[in-house]
Amino acid sequence: MIRFDNVSKRYPSGQEALHELSFELAQGEMAFVTGHSGAGKSTLLRLIALLDRPSRGRVHVDGQDLAHARRRAVPHLRRRLGMVFQDHRLLMDRTVYDNVALPLLIAGVARDEIGKRVRASLDKVGLLGREGDAPVALSTGEQQRVGIARAIVTKPPVLIADEPTGNLDPQLSAEIMALFGAFCQVGTTVLIASHDLALIKRMNQRVLVLDHGRLIDDYRPRGAP
Amino acid sequence: MNRRKPQNRLKAAPPPKPAARAERRPRAGLRAWREQHLYSFFSSLGRLAARPWATLLTLLVMALALALPLLLYLGLGNASQLHGDMRDAGAISIFLKPHLDGAAVNALAARVRARPDVETVVVRTPEQGLEEFRNQSGFSDALNVLRDNPLPAVLLVVPRADGARATDLAAEFGREGEVDLVQYDAAWRQRLEAILAVATRTAQVLAALLGLAVLLVIGNTVRLDLLGRAEEIDVMQLLGASAGFVRRPFLYAGLWYGMFSAALALLVVALVEWALATPLQTLVASYDHRFSVRGLAIVPALGTLAAGATLGWCGAWIATWRHLARVPR
Repeated sequence: MIRFDNVSKRYPSGQEALHELSFELAQGEMAFVTGHSGAGKSTLLRLIALLDRPSRGRVHVDGQDLAHARRRAVPHLRRRLGMVFQDHRLLMDRTVYDNVALPLLIAGVARDEIGKRVRASLDKVGLLGREGDAPVALSTGEQQRVGIARAIVTKPPVLIADEPTGNLDPQLSAEIMALFGAFCQVGTTVLIASHDLALIKRMNQRVLVLDHGRLIDDYRPRGAP
Repeated sequence: MNRRKPQNRLKAAPPPKPAARAERRPRAGLRAWREQHLYSFFSSLGRLAARPWATLLTLLVMALALALPLLLYLGLGNASQLHGDMRDAGAISIFLKPHLDGAAVNALAARVRARPDVETVVVRTPEQGLEEFRNQSGFSDALNVLRDNPLPAVLLVVPRADGARATDLAAEFGREGEVDLVQYDAAWRQRLEAILAVATRTAQVLAALLGLAVLLVIGNTVRLDLLGRAEEIDVMQLLGASAGFVRRPFLYAGLWYGMFSAALALLVVALVEWALATPLQTLVASYDHRFSVRGLAIVPALGTLAAGATLGWCGAWIATWRHLARVPR
């Protein structure tokens, strides 16, 4: 579902963020990307989200070669990707409902279907009944769950998350991770960048370890999917 | 663990198959396009209404900028009416020697009329001249005192040609024995035409400059709006919004700005017309109502609205063009 072939990324400043990176994630697989800050975790996710293009090598997502995607095709490719951010990036001047409905509006889903799907998505993250609230009225953990509801409302085949538990306490972090675990069980490929090693260890999933832009370990726990 | 145990309620929901998606595309695409336009249409209006004072201030600035060329256009329309009235001034006036009898006058008139370079000849007898003078000059009481009619007979000759040949013709008439004086105001008439041409061109240039100003004001207003909503735009782009989707509400906002300011400009013009109505009526009355003051007609008014909307849309387009070239953070 996600495949990197010898991907290198060098920024115009000369800094090499990724070096000869190769790995593959199957459909329904869940993996963590970890490493010290500046190891290339965010760059890796930016390449998948088409926020950056690799300097060398190929990135394939859902069978699409992103290196050759035209500029006009980028929005369509992003719609097949769920993105969760550390700071959740909700629109604070809109209700929870409007935030979660936004990707459907962008994708051109019929109005009557939007309501159904927004409620189903909020139900999955345990926030049904909070549609009319403003995001500021929610706790940090709840805000992040709205962010996740927004990421999954279009039922994307791939879900990526950049430090989704960075601002949360351990218990809330565990809850959020359990949510991600549930999505990969229904066939969504999930890739999470995190430096919370204790949490990663408890999840017992595949872990890609980056160091200075190189993949130094690809840990697969026994008995994991 | 999560209180609501979401795992238990997750239904297996595979992503829609590409083939099924492609089948529904044409009609679904049109509906989505229509719904997204409706959404932008109303959300942009809502955003203007959310800041009524700022919006009104911007609209007033643009309305005044649009009203100025409109008022010039109106003024010129009325002036050219006056110009049409001056067509008579193209005639050569031949004042005949006093006390020339009617037969001699008519003989000369027939001779002049027979010339191939003359279009029409009107004979104005001294009696007609006195009557006209009495009506127009306001000196009727003073004229009553006169025992004799001091006015000569006049031939009003409209030449076929204009300019130099008409001037030659006038000079030729001057050499006739019965003629006392020939008056031909070609230079004056040409000057009036030139003045009107300068005024028209000035109005066009001003309209273009002020139109550009409106374009820039709307462009800048939309640009500030874009900067204020940069975070929202970034998020939308991350969620896969196309440039068109992001641009659309701003284009509609530009359209509203342009159209509302044009409507306000029409209101300003109506106010100016109302304020000038009484003094203008007095002026027109003094000219024996030979021309009327014309207000803005419906077609130019609709044209103003359309021009305003177009300017707004274009201004917003320019503003969004640059902004959307960026990659979201």
